[in-house]
Amino acid sequence: MTEKRTPSVTTYMIVCALLIVLTVLTVTVSFFDLPGIWHVVLGLCIAAVKGALVVVFFMHALISSRVTWIVIAVACFWLCLLLMLGLTDYFTRGLVPFMTGH
Amino acid sequence: MSYEPSYATMRLRDELDQTAVVFHPLEEQYRNLEEQHEAGTLGMWVFLATEVMFFGALFLGLGAYHIHYGPAFEKASEKLNWVIGGLNTIVLLVSSLFMVLAVHYAKAGHRKHLMTFLGLTALLGGMFLVLKGFEYYTDYRDNLIPGWRFDDQEWVKEGLTPEQVPQVKLFLIFYWVMTGLHGVHVTVGIIAVLVLLVLARRGTFTPVYYSPVDVTALYWHFVDTVWIFLLPMLYLLGTHTLADLHIL
Repeated sequence: MTEKRTPSVTTYMIVCALLIVLTVLTVTVSFFDLPGIWHVVLGLCIAAVKGALVVVFFMHALISSRVTWIVIAVACFWLCLLLMLGLTDYFTRGLVPFMTGH
Repeated sequence: MSYEPSYATMRLRDELDQTAVVFHPLEEQYRNLEEQHEAGTLGMWVFLATEVMFFGALFLGLGAYHIHYGPAFEKASEKLNWVIGGLNTIVLLVSSLFMVLAVHYAKAGHRKHLMTFLGLTALLGGMFLVLKGFEYYTDYRDNLIPGWRFDDQEWVKEGLTPEQVPQVKLFLIFYWVMTGLHGVHVTVGIIAVLVLLVLARRGTFTPVYYSPVDVTALYWHFVDTVWIFLLPMLYLLGTHTLADLHIL
C-alpha cells in the first residue's frame, strides 16, 4: 500500500476549532423559539457535520485502507436500516386496521 | 557437535530477544508490522460498527418516543443541565484533539510529546467525568431521578397533565441509561489511555510500532462522536432562555 499523507498539526487544530464553533452554534439554536421537533432536526444536522469531521480528520478515515471504508459504509448502512425500519414501524402503527379473527 | 547456526552468537540472540522482539512485537500470522497495524485498525473499526448499532438502538428508541411524546420530552429536556452538557462537549472535543496529536507524535517518534498528549487526554477524560458527576448531583438535587427522587406534583405544577408525567419519567430513564453507558465508555477509554502512557514511558512505541496508540485513539474519537449526538438529542429538545442559567 502506498503511504498516504497524514494531516498536519495545524489541520487538526483548525478542525477542533471548527468543532467548538459548531458546538456553540448547536447550543445557540436551542435558544431560538422553534416549533416542535425542529430543535432536534437542526441539532442533529449540525451533529452529523461534526461527526463527519471527527471521522474524516481525527479518525483518519480518508487515508485508511479501502477495506476500512467498506466497514464504515456498512456501519452507516446498518444504522440507516435500523433507524428507517424502526421509525417506519412506529410511524405506521394503528394505520392498518386490526384484522378480526387473528 | 553443535547444530546451532554460527552467524548469531547466544549473546547476540539474547540481545535481539530483548530489543527487536520486545519493542516491535510482530505476531507470527503477519508478514510485517504494517500488515499487523492494518489488521488491528480494521478490528477496531469492526468493533466500532457494532457500537454504532448498540447506541443506534438507544437513539432510535429516544427519537421514536420523542415523536410520540413531544411536549413532555421537551419539558423534561429543558430541566437538564445544558450548561454542563455543552461544556463537556467542548472538553471531549479538545481531548480528541490531544489524542490525535498523541498519535501524530507517536508516529514521529517523539516520546515526550506523546506522553504529554496522552496525559492531557486522560486528564480531560477525568474532567469530563467530574463535570458529569457534578451534573448528576444537580439532577439528584432537582428531583430528576425516577424511582428514587422524583415528584409527580412538581411536573403537574409545570403545566403537564398527570398522564404526561410517566412520559417525563421515560425521557429521564433514557437520559440516565444513555449518559451512564457513555460514561462507562469514557472510563474504559481513560484506563486504556493510562495504560498507553505507562507503555510510552517504558519506550514501547516507535515510529514503526505505534498501533496500540492509533487503535485506542479510534475508540476515543468514537466515544466523542457519541456525545456529539447525545447533546442535541438529550439536552437541547426544548427552547432555552438565559434564565435557565440558574440551574448551575
